Amino acid sequence: MTSITSAQDRPVAALRTRGDNRARGGAPNHLISAGATPSETTAGTPQRNDPAGHARTVTLRIRRQDHPRSLPYWEQFRVRVSSGENVVSMLRKLRLDPVTSDGRRVGPVAFEHNCMEEVCGACAMLIDGRPRPSCSTLLSELGDLIQLEPLPKFPVVRDLMVDRARLFENLKRVRAWVRLDGAYDTHERAPRMSQKQWAADYLFSRCINCGVCAAACPQFPDGAGALEPQADGFVGPAALAQVRLLNAHPLGGYDKPDRLHAIMAEGGLSDCGNAQNCVRVCPKQIPLTSAIGELGRQTTVQVVKDLFGG
Amino acid sequence: MNKSGREVVVIGGGLGGLWATLTIAGSGHRVQLFSLFEVMRSHSACAQGGINAVLDTKGQHDNVQQHILDTLKGGSYLANQPPVKSMCEDAPGLIRTFERMGVTFSRTPEGLLDQRLFGGVKNKRTCFAGASTGQQLLAGVDQQVRRLEADGLVRKHEWWEFLGLVQDAGGVCCGIVAMDLRSLSVQTFRADAVVLASGGLGQLYAPQTTCSTNSTGAAASRVYQQGARFANAEFFQFHPTAMLGEDKTRLMSEAARGEGGRVWVPKDPTDRREPNRIPEAERYYFLEDWYPAYGNTVPRDIASRAIWRVCRELGQGIGGDDRVYLDLTHLDRDFVEARLGAILSIYRKFAGTDPVAEPMQIFPAAHYAMGGLWIDFEVDPAGGGIRPGSPRNHATNIPGLYACGECDYGYHGANRLGANSLLSASYSGRVAGEAVLSRLAGIERGADRLPDKTFDDAVHRQRTLNAELMANRGGDNAYELHQELGELMTTRVGVVRDNASLDRAAAELAELEQRAARIDLAETRPWANQTLAYARQVQDMIRLARVMAASARARDECRGAHYKPEFELPLPARRASGADDPEWQAYLERWRANNERWLKTSVAEHTPDGPRIGHEPVDLSVLPPAEPRDYR
Amino acid sequence: MSSIDNPHFVLRRLHSLLGVVPVGAFLAFHLWENSQSRFGAEHFNTEVVDALSGLNYLPFIEIGLIALPLAFHAFYGLAIIGSGRPEPLRYGYTRNWLYWLQRVSGVGLLLFILMHVAMTRIAGLMDPAIHADLFGHMRAALSNPWVFGVYLVGLWLAVLHLSNGLATAAISWGLTASAAAQRRFGWVCLGLGLLLGVIGTHGLIGYLIAPTTGIA
Repeated sequence: MTSITSAQDRPVAALRTRGDNRARGGAPNHLISAGATPSETTAGTPQRNDPAGHARTVTLRIRRQDHPRSLPYWEQFRVRVSSGENVVSMLRKLRLDPVTSDGRRVGPVAFEHNCMEEVCGACAMLIDGRPRPSCSTLLSELGDLIQLEPLPKFPVVRDLMVDRARLFENLKRVRAWVRLDGAYDTHERAPRMSQKQWAADYLFSRCINCGVCAAACPQFPDGAGALEPQADGFVGPAALAQVRLLNAHPLGGYDKPDRLHAIMAEGGLSDCGNAQNCVRVCPKQIPLTSAIGELGRQTTVQVVKDLFGG
Repeated sequence: MNKSGREVVVIGGGLGGLWATLTIAGSGHRVQLFSLFEVMRSHSACAQGGINAVLDTKGQHDNVQQHILDTLKGGSYLANQPPVKSMCEDAPGLIRTFERMGVTFSRTPEGLLDQRLFGGVKNKRTCFAGASTGQQLLAGVDQQVRRLEADGLVRKHEWWEFLGLVQDAGGVCCGIVAMDLRSLSVQTFRADAVVLASGGLGQLYAPQTTCSTNSTGAAASRVYQQGARFANAEFFQFHPTAMLGEDKTRLMSEAARGEGGRVWVPKDPTDRREPNRIPEAERYYFLEDWYPAYGNTVPRDIASRAIWRVCRELGQGIGGDDRVYLDLTHLDRDFVEARLGAILSIYRKFAGTDPVAEPMQIFPAAHYAMGGLWIDFEVDPAGGGIRPGSPRNHATNIPGLYACGECDYGYHGANRLGANSLLSASYSGRVAGEAVLSRLAGIERGADRLPDKTFDDAVHRQRTLNAELMANRGGDNAYELHQELGELMTTRVGVVRDNASLDRAAAELAELEQRAARIDLAETRPWANQTLAYARQVQDMIRLARVMAASARARDECRGAHYKPEFELPLPARRASGADDPEWQAYLERWRANNERWLKTSVAEHTPDGPRIGHEPVDLSVLPPAEPRDYR
Repeated sequence: MSSIDNPHFVLRRLHSLLGVVPVGAFLAFHLWENSQSRFGAEHFNTEVVDALSGLNYLPFIEIGLIALPLAFHAFYGLAIIGSGRPEPLRYGYTRNWLYWLQRVSGVGLLLFILMHVAMTRIAGLMDPAIHADLFGHMRAALSNPWVFGVYLVGLWLAVLHLSNGLATAAISWGLTASAAAQRRFGWVCLGLGLLLGVIGTHGLIGYLIAPTTGIA
């Protein structure tokens, strides 16, 4: 019987290269468009097969909070990490034996994570002051002092866990669905859609409801101190992008006026202040500000129809 | 709003659970939907490649019969055939429904749904939405459920953990007991039907798994311990192409092979050159060499074992390690970006190199449980599939409890065909929902009329378990126990198995179970105590691991993902050359005898002494096995 | 229909529209007129001040087309500012800085305009001598470096507020939808802002360097 060596014994492949840098800081909305791939990645020095794994010890400062009603406090930890790791894997390591830098054994840090592939959206938090999914934040991008805080704008549940119910309430507010007669087969071929439209729509369908855009949006209401998530104020970029997406769908378009009217009310589209942080921080590079521009156009047409269309 | 006054509980907010919810609430009944986290964060979102449905739009004369055959053969004929038949027949309709929901399926230049080739089949049959199909399908159903939620027909309980069923004196499931993961309050919820859609159990192999942290199988384990039968537990698919990582191994979709990716190793394992500098002549494309008919698109188990063999038996892995190259660099960059953009971005994000410029490094990882809760079906004598709307479909052996999605065992037999999981999750959720509707129609006395005592007892039991755990001191750490479990399962109940090792696994798991009873939480906060929930999951994972090990021990053959080389029936040296080929005929004889003995569903039942494994016949009424698989 | 039953959207769009027309348009006109200061007191007092004072329906124009829209834009703008929480230091992107500057400049402008109107239009109404030689009045005021500084800041805040407001209004109204279009139009607005700022600065300096008797 042979056995698989454990993952820890294996050199973890590779470090981030320049292409990744560019994807984070640069043009956000070209993920799948032709020719937008970072061609200079090959120029980066590959550091695969590095058995040493660049192990180092980092200092973690974590803003903790035991209960929504209690006061936050800071705790510091020292964790031994290797280069291929990310913030989630570091937190998983920390929870095995959470001992602070000054030697106190404390309760494990509560944090949410599920897929660890940046598709479930659970693990977003403030990392060195920036909202990001923690699973896709590689430690090689961070320094030796790493500061973690809960995702702002949302009520803290405990430590790094926040309650993002508001995001989902906002999807209800903007009626982010196609109104089907029923979820059964109607025996009719799917409506045709051009590849061009598909490519534009697909970008918006990749939203993972992580809340990073809302956290960075100066107009999104700050509910961090609230005990219950509120459901008023600006709906935020993510919900607007879904309106953009569903309005474009052949069937979803039937309810376009309803959705537009929903976002023409308080907390809707015109509460956007065009600070455009959303598009810069979105981990999925969703062109949120294009959605807002397109909805601007759609509401302009809609209000003219409403006022003068009879 | 609530048409019937009946209550339904659905556990799990992934594709299966949401489809069940949609079907039941869409008919006007109220559903309480339980999820470990905010709905939308389920593991369904991780499925990248696509969903199979025969549309025959690629000029390949694809047909449903072929889809059925591929599914059954892919599963080594271990799946009951009527449900598979119905699933394949209904697949195109499901795709159309998803499309109406607004799922952004990729298109052809004519604006029709595009279809791609996937491992294990010869026809383009897989619909996909970029490279994030699971996420898109989940979003589509999630939107529909949100609409029903806005209408008051669905009530979501997010951040709630299912702890167990409540059963009446007759064993009928009449509700659940669950824990609020924030307040840790334990409550019961009465229900006239419960649908369990709790997903897979890849965490049993953590961290050598592509599964999300919630895929623990704990919920399935809990109902198993309450009497639900667990079938085909030994069949667990190892995805051949996963990138290596410390917290988990991340999936490289099979689409990478389907779109033309080639798997190779340097002929000289000590070759330290950059892969792009290794000339063609010094590369070994072992899949193409060993399986010329399918090449790089052989099914997953074949690919997993081939990679295992190259690395472990031949010592040919890159640098002598457990790694091989998955190469896309010969393909057109724009084509690859358009077809595989999202999965490549995962690689870029987590490994840091560009797979279009440099081959990826991969190795097999635990991916999908074919086995799961035993479920019933009723054959439709007219069509040979399942009878639509029968209350028996997807019913477990506990009356009132239904199971769908990855936590059931229904559609994949001994191995799952690529891109059939999103299909089975969706389809089974809908069928389970329809079955529940039929059950509700037949209920005269609802769970709301049962005495409180049944429910109070259930709460008391669970609170006692929690209190004991909270009070434990000096025992094992839950996280470390989980690591031990993952290592044990990967080593002993993994890609390759043998009975001596499985016996050891059984003993070690029994010991782990003892230790798990004494877990020390190391924190006693009564608010959002993640360790408490986690510790309880680990306990139930170990109990489920015992089922897997015992089922694997009981099956002395090689079938699908279950590979015991000791009992392998070696293929003749060359392909069959005709009916008069004596070597081939002799092989067929052995193959038929083996089927006679082992073409059986293994069924585990919980006993105080551990799992008891039995075997029962498979319904082969659609396409009886006629010939063995030969992927050469 | 929330567009009719609920005035929120229409009010927001009105706020945006009024900022461009008439308020923004007036600013451009105003800066153009005042850039004539360099031609001296006689030219300015006659061709600019007297010519404008002689317009028919002047009070209606001043109150209806300038003061009221400006007041609406200003006070509704203050209400909007109340709903935001800018963090330009945390998110140091250009657009986010502009978001912050738009709000800061809005408040600054409100104060500046109140002062400016009081110093010129109101003072002119109170004291006919000031109205008669507005050029001299301004020259005297701007000779004080502090006043000149305040005017210079006020001018550039106004220009920034207008040009950035134009860029964001184009997004809000849907003129520029794609990121590329927004970027392109951003450059146009930057150019427009620089042009207006130069014209205005030129006008401010004109009061100080132009001959009192005029050269015309």
